[in-house]
Amino acid sequence: MSEESDKELLDRIAKMLDGGLKTIAEPFPEDNFQFDVIVRELAHIEKDDVEKKLVVAGYVNHPIEEMRCMECMYYLNHRKWCNLPEIDLPAEPDWWCRLWRI
Amino acid sequence: MANLLWLQGGACSGNTMSFLNAEEPSACDLVTDFGINILWHPSLGMELGNDLQQILKDCVSGKIKLDIFVFEGTVVNAPDGTGTWNRFAGRPMKEWVKELSAAADFVVAIGDCATWGGIPATAPNPTDSVGLQFLKKNIGGALGKTFKAKSGLPVINIPGCPAHPDWVTQILVAVATGRAGDLTLDEYQRPKTFFQSFTQTGCTRNMHFAYKVSTTQFGQRNGCLFYDLGCRGPMTHSPCNRILWNRQSSKTRAGMPCLGCTEPEFPFHDLMPGTVFKTQTVMGVPRELPLGVDKSSYIKYTGAAKAATPKWAEEDMFVV
Repeated sequence: MSEESDKELLDRIAKMLDGGLKTIAEPFPEDNFQFDVIVRELAHIEKDDVEKKLVVAGYVNHPIEEMRCMECMYYLNHRKWCNLPEIDLPAEPDWWCRLWRI
Repeated sequence: MANLLWLQGGACSGNTMSFLNAEEPSACDLVTDFGINILWHPSLGMELGNDLQQILKDCVSGKIKLDIFVFEGTVVNAPDGTGTWNRFAGRPMKEWVKELSAAADFVVAIGDCATWGGIPATAPNPTDSVGLQFLKKNIGGALGKTFKAKSGLPVINIPGCPAHPDWVTQILVAVATGRAGDLTLDEYQRPKTFFQSFTQTGCTRNMHFAYKVSTTQFGQRNGCLFYDLGCRGPMTHSPCNRILWNRQSSKTRAGMPCLGCTEPEFPFHDLMPGTVFKTQTVMGVPRELPLGVDKSSYIKYTGAAKAATPKWAEEDMFVV
């Protein structure tokens, strides 16, 4: 995907979140077993169904406490991209989702 | 000339396969260049039945001087402590192990099963298996906590599943050529020359470890295997990335997470579903951190490292 289309998709997601899209930000998975349940659910979502992926992953457009995408191990800072294969979507560094991990 | 006897208990022969692939020095070099006389080995010995039994009896009695006794596989105690599930040359193997260890100048345990029990001793340990002088992290095993061979050394543990062939042959050469005094052993009786550094030492993914870039799927050449795929390289003592396998690679170099097979707890978490090839986490933080790193430091370091990550670290650097 080109940088331009990455940016377009990021803007689209930002608009959805700014518009009040309700995502499942809780509960935060306490361990990798609960984490895997969410990942498996994500894996069944159509790749192009961005909204559903955002909802299940629990995307929010702000940090939660001190947690934010920027420190998450799946986040590619330069590309502004979540590299978790089941998400594979852009994100701003100050956002967060419940699949946050370091 | 140093007489060496190699026996197998509860074993898959993996360490024998590894040993026979040794290159520096090779198994043949042990005989031709370093004066090791292999009295008997399960894959090399010619004797069978009474002839083999006589060799073992002569080693126990001292008629044949036993310089090095090598054991591969667990010492099986089942059923009910009798050890008869693993009979060899007319009696339970555990009895041969005890008597031969007492007769030997040096006792060397090869592979996880002989060192700490390995996979056979994983719960529920149906064969009641133990290592020669350890059961997992607990000292004791088949020979007991205070056991020392005639040389004064306890069992020399060369763990691994399997042990790297050159770890085996190099230690055997050191012992056979009178340089055992140069060996220093760690708390689990592993030669420090091999087991002081970490699997991560020399790993080609260290840059990605430093910049917190994760491998998210098997086969990716970029990224570190620690963060998501359960790699135990930062917590495991082994020279797997210093003394390469087949002289050219290692698990982590090939994209396979280190399983920590040189540590007494291997296989970790008793192989419970969801624990293999998966980093165990608590609230998004790895349950086990690189050795010597505390959680608070890890979190601070992660923030700094991610902020400093250069663009190239996020891209595939292995291009054709």
